Amino acid sequence: MSPIAIKRINRALAYLCLIVASAFFITSFNWLLSTSLKPLTQIFTFPPEWIPSPILWSNYSRAVEYIPFWTYLKNTAIITIASTLGVIISCPLVAYSFAKLEYRGRGLLFFVTLAVMMIPGQVTMIPLFLLFTKLGWVGTALPLIVPQFFGVPIYIFLLRQFFMGLPDALREAARLDGASEFRIYLQIMFPLAKSAVLAVALFQFMGSWTDFMGPLLYLTNEPSYTVSLGLQQFQSQKGSEWGLLMAVSTLMTLPIIVLFFFLQKTFISGITFSGIKG
Amino acid sequence: MRKSKKIAFPILVYFLAMLLLLTACSTKAGSGGPDGEGNTTVTMWHGLTSIDLDNMNKVVKAFEEKNPTIKMKLVYTESSEGSDQKLLTAVAGGNPPDVALFDRFKVGTWAAQGSLTDLSSMAAESGIRKEMYYPFAWEESSYQGKLYAIPMDTDSRLLFYNKDHFKEVGLDPNKPPQTIAELEAAADKLTIKEGKRFKRIGFIPWYSQGWLYTWGWAFGGEFQDAATGKITANDPKVVEALQWMTDFGQKYNVEDIAGFTSAAGTEEMDPFISGQVSMKISGNFTVKGIEKFKPDLNYGVAPIPTPTGADFTTWSGGGSAIIPKGAKNVAAAWKFLEFLGKEEGQTLLNADSQISVIDSVNDKYGYKDDPIMKEFINILPNSHNRPVIPEGQLLWNELASATEKATRGNGTPKENLDRVTETVNKALEKYDK
Amino acid sequence: MAKLADSVQVSAIPSARKRALHRTNVIGWLFASPWAIGLLCFYAIPMLMSIYFSFTTYSILQPGEFVGMNNYRDLFQDPLFWKSISNTIYFTVFFVPLSIFFGVALAMMLNMKVKGMAVFRTIFFLPTLVPQVALAVLWMWLLHPNFGLVNGMLAHIGIDGPSWLGGESWSKPSLILMSLWGIGQAVVIYLAGLGDIPDEYYEAAQIDGANWFQKTRKVTLPLLTPVIFYNLVMGMIGAFQQFTLPYTLTKGQGTPANSMTFYVMYLYENGFRYFKMGYASAMAWILFIIVMALTGIIFITSKRWVHYQGK
Repeated sequence: MSPIAIKRINRALAYLCLIVASAFFITSFNWLLSTSLKPLTQIFTFPPEWIPSPILWSNYSRAVEYIPFWTYLKNTAIITIASTLGVIISCPLVAYSFAKLEYRGRGLLFFVTLAVMMIPGQVTMIPLFLLFTKLGWVGTALPLIVPQFFGVPIYIFLLRQFFMGLPDALREAARLDGASEFRIYLQIMFPLAKSAVLAVALFQFMGSWTDFMGPLLYLTNEPSYTVSLGLQQFQSQKGSEWGLLMAVSTLMTLPIIVLFFFLQKTFISGITFSGIKG
Repeated sequence: MRKSKKIAFPILVYFLAMLLLLTACSTKAGSGGPDGEGNTTVTMWHGLTSIDLDNMNKVVKAFEEKNPTIKMKLVYTESSEGSDQKLLTAVAGGNPPDVALFDRFKVGTWAAQGSLTDLSSMAAESGIRKEMYYPFAWEESSYQGKLYAIPMDTDSRLLFYNKDHFKEVGLDPNKPPQTIAELEAAADKLTIKEGKRFKRIGFIPWYSQGWLYTWGWAFGGEFQDAATGKITANDPKVVEALQWMTDFGQKYNVEDIAGFTSAAGTEEMDPFISGQVSMKISGNFTVKGIEKFKPDLNYGVAPIPTPTGADFTTWSGGGSAIIPKGAKNVAAAWKFLEFLGKEEGQTLLNADSQISVIDSVNDKYGYKDDPIMKEFINILPNSHNRPVIPEGQLLWNELASATEKATRGNGTPKENLDRVTETVNKALEKYDK
Repeated sequence: MAKLADSVQVSAIPSARKRALHRTNVIGWLFASPWAIGLLCFYAIPMLMSIYFSFTTYSILQPGEFVGMNNYRDLFQDPLFWKSISNTIYFTVFFVPLSIFFGVALAMMLNMKVKGMAVFRTIFFLPTLVPQVALAVLWMWLLHPNFGLVNGMLAHIGIDGPSWLGGESWSKPSLILMSLWGIGQAVVIYLAGLGDIPDEYYEAAQIDGANWFQKTRKVTLPLLTPVIFYNLVMGMIGAFQQFTLPYTLTKGQGTPANSMTFYVMYLYENGFRYFKMGYASAMAWILFIIVMALTGIIFITSKRWVHYQGK
């Protein structure tokens, strides 16, 4: 068989696998969506009805009234954008230093960075809380935003891997031209890292948007709550308002889906771990 | 030198920006206290939603009318079962709310840690007395003889049975089983097996509210020695109860019926509602669920069967209101608790929703005239509460674990319960000072 | 990596060179300073506090008393501790390799330059966005022995499906299945790594007459190793810290019969429900040591199998 034919068959097979796999993966979202449009009595029927009849759009309007949705949305947006900004500013800076700069103690610092990722959050949660209480930050959104401006280990690790792939040649050339380290970083390296930083930004965005524990512990004023806290209010002792819960969940997830859909090509095709455009 | 300056400068700007951010964003949450006009704001954390929240708002309104210098500030916090991280961290951090709504079950544990305010003297002065409530409600709200919580609502457990199924197999729908033997016989008749699959199961002892607590007491056992306060999970009658559950499981083969119990994680997937299970032990809170998801279900309730067919009993839990240690407005907070604990507050609080802890209020609601609800109320005077110990959660987990192990043939009931008794009593030793 | 040789030679170098070295050090540290501060304040200090707690009977509500190594000693005698370790290791050992395998495979499929890839990629990313609560309920429903879709479909091909979440032997595999759903995030990173491999290598291999399988083995996989390395480390750390999903599914009880009691779940239960935060802190530090050791091994062996293109 000609190589082109083989290639076509391979592609077709892969395409088929993809379709089957995606049917499986999209189930979660389907269920979310269809449940959000059903009355309570129809949700857990068997066999499952994927397309509800009648379609209960009112679940959405009721959900938005059940809790101060728009206020929560605004709060979530502010916190998420601020923390993402923090990550974009701090993490590439530090990651670059791990990858390309040489200084005493770098190895140790990196090692500690990794070590820090291994402690389960549950344990540092209490001391951290006590710390923030002493600072007087409990009751504000500061504990959810400020730490991001000082670096987050997972993103630092990821970006470090990325920076390590950038050729040293670039740097040496720039130094010969007399540029300072910081200028090299800001004007050459950071732009090259745009896509990786975008990916990190997306992850932070997602993490902050869906964060529950943080807002739970540190926000004490209902008007300052985020959407993920609001979700809890749909679950009561006597059984959850599943239709409304799914409606809010859908509303909550939509912005990220849209964001991802439009950005994914940009950062995936742009991220290189080698600095060499493929 | 120039090079260093070039870096230092941007970094400096960066830190300045941070400082600006900090100062700009700092908004302190108001912690209520007496303001200029002599008004006090009492902050209350709760996990109420829909109708319970509506009721509470009515209570607050009535309370504020009677107490014009006190304003209540209600703050919604997470309310998943047993999870109190927010309250825990707030108390540890030293700025808890003035009032918090709290599962009564936890009073013993928290009181032992010194995190609750002793309400005994305030109660005595305000005329809140033990006799006003069902005995178990007061018991569960006290620790070592002192009152630490005001009970708000309660529940009880009974046998639910599907009347249509009964008719179908020739059982009298108006004569539910009263003895264990009758229960077993009925379960046998009601079960439909198709090959290896059960199409319908008559009864699963440990499903829903069929905890070992339920059966232990039904069989006449005790979980705690009243005199010494030690846990007696291996009381012979409790062992007998667990043995019965294990035998039941073996008869129907645990692995096959495990499917029914595991997947029913939420109310809506309750196999009793879908008709896959004919009888179950559950609480009054299920009634609302049935109304919501299958209002036409033809069912009845009856006291939980016992070996003798007499001495029916059950156990109850419920919610309460507490004042955490470190609260700032204790006197004002107590006024609210007092209101909650007396008849007027109780009536507003539990309307159309819960069972009150005061008998006369339940009377007023007309529960005693409703064929289903009256059974739940009538059994209350004979209800138990779970032992009030500093390790309540540990005991609960251990009993659940022991039940699972025994029913799966992992050790005999006596071995498992001996272990529970030993573990919990050992954990309790450190509290004997 | 820091060149220790430099610091050793410092004293023998003329002062100009010393100043230059000094400057590089300062610059390096200035770059890393935000993190140095962050690390200290938000990580190191809480971690040190928790080490201290692990030697006490701290209960969050009360400071407790100093008991030295008691917590650690009690842990080693606690059967549930060992059970939780074995559950967690079981999960990690199966989940991590599977997630790498499927992650890479999926990424390779998603790397095709056909129309509509954006849609596919978004679809695979979706499960990571759905709130845990919804996911837990969805899976409980799907895996329902009698009503669930999974057993329904198996029945069509004549297989009698087990009671997934209800049986001791199937509960963890069910969890592994559920967790594999969340590989969307890792796939994104694999995709980035794939896009990174220059077409020239593939063309060269093509000219040499390599087929798809050989191309994958000799070009794709080796050049993907930095990414695999990252996901291996992160995957392992994540697997060891598995908490939210099993906790939501079993309401913290680890049913059936403690087969779903994972390490961090048990930690949480001890710290927040039994008020034994000191005990829980000890658990956390034991976990830390285990994970550190494993990561160390991965790092050391990485020199053998990871190829960075940039160096």
